[in-house]
Amino acid sequence: MTLNDLVERLKGTPLSQAISGSDTLFPLLECVHVLAVVIVVGAIAIVDLRLLGLRARGRDIQELLKQFVPVTLGAFGVGFVAGALMFIAKPDTYLANAFFLTKMVLLALAGANAITFHLIFHRTLARASAGVAAPLPARLSGLFSLGVWIAIIACGRWIGFTT
Amino acid sequence: MLTAFAVWLRATPLSIAIASHDWIIPAVQSLHIVTIAALIGSVLVINLRLLNVIEKGQAVTALMDHYLPVVAVSIIVLALTGGFLILGEPTRALFRITFWIKMALVLAASILTWGLNRLSRTPAALSGAAGATQALKAGAVVALLLWTAIIFAGRWIGYTEGWPGAPQ
Repeated sequence: MTLNDLVERLKGTPLSQAISGSDTLFPLLECVHVLAVVIVVGAIAIVDLRLLGLRARGRDIQELLKQFVPVTLGAFGVGFVAGALMFIAKPDTYLANAFFLTKMVLLALAGANAITFHLIFHRTLARASAGVAAPLPARLSGLFSLGVWIAIIACGRWIGFTT
Repeated sequence: MLTAFAVWLRATPLSIAIASHDWIIPAVQSLHIVTIAALIGSVLVINLRLLNVIEKGQAVTALMDHYLPVVAVSIIVLALTGGFLILGEPTRALFRITFWIKMALVLAASILTWGLNRLSRTPAALSGAAGATQALKAGAVVALLLWTAIIFAGRWIGYTEGWPGAPQ
């Protein structure tokens, strides 16, 4: 099955037609998506800025992760579902959009960075309790995360200007 | 009067300059959304703490001290980037009811946040009195609903028609 077949099959589903055929469903999904995105980025920024030593230096990083990773994952799940429903409504438009494709690549990079952080750098944080600076790899991971998420927001906003 | 203002604004050199570059509006909108992330991250921590969902090990007032300056700076940056967006497209948001609903909600959420900060520092709240704690929790729920409504209204500005008589 080619990509075109998949796109046509997606567009033929009742869900796709319900969303694209409604005046309010798509904007509502966008609202939910934006809400989820700002919660994800807001929560991630709190951890990243601590890793970078710019904010909350007096806090234990492990403790901050324990507080904010669940919030991040929950909001990401909501944003992902809303985004997927938006995609299903007009898959061909999105697949032809360079900003959408860039956003997907950046999301993969953000995910890879997060997984690397949790599998590798996370262990080095045992020493980074309250008032202690994070080790350099963890700091770089935080900087990368912050930059990529800002770029994801920009790409997401730009999708709407190019379709 | 609003129409005359918008038409005048549209004729200013800065407005013309913004309109003549396609990338400026999406770039400033992106900055606007990044700032909303800073704002929402901060109010989320404050209100979820008031509801005893996260950061239970932190004092409410300590979190207020840490996050309220971010809220204040964010609102200023949002007013500046939002004002810039209006300058770029003066006949758009100003004539759409969703924009004014959003402004009213921002005012309400800001006043409520200020009130919750004040209340959290009263002797009753500091000693954990049931009445004050309940009031703070109720306020936190309303605040979270208001901030959510603000984001929905903001996104919906783009889907709202200008009211009758709005300049084209």
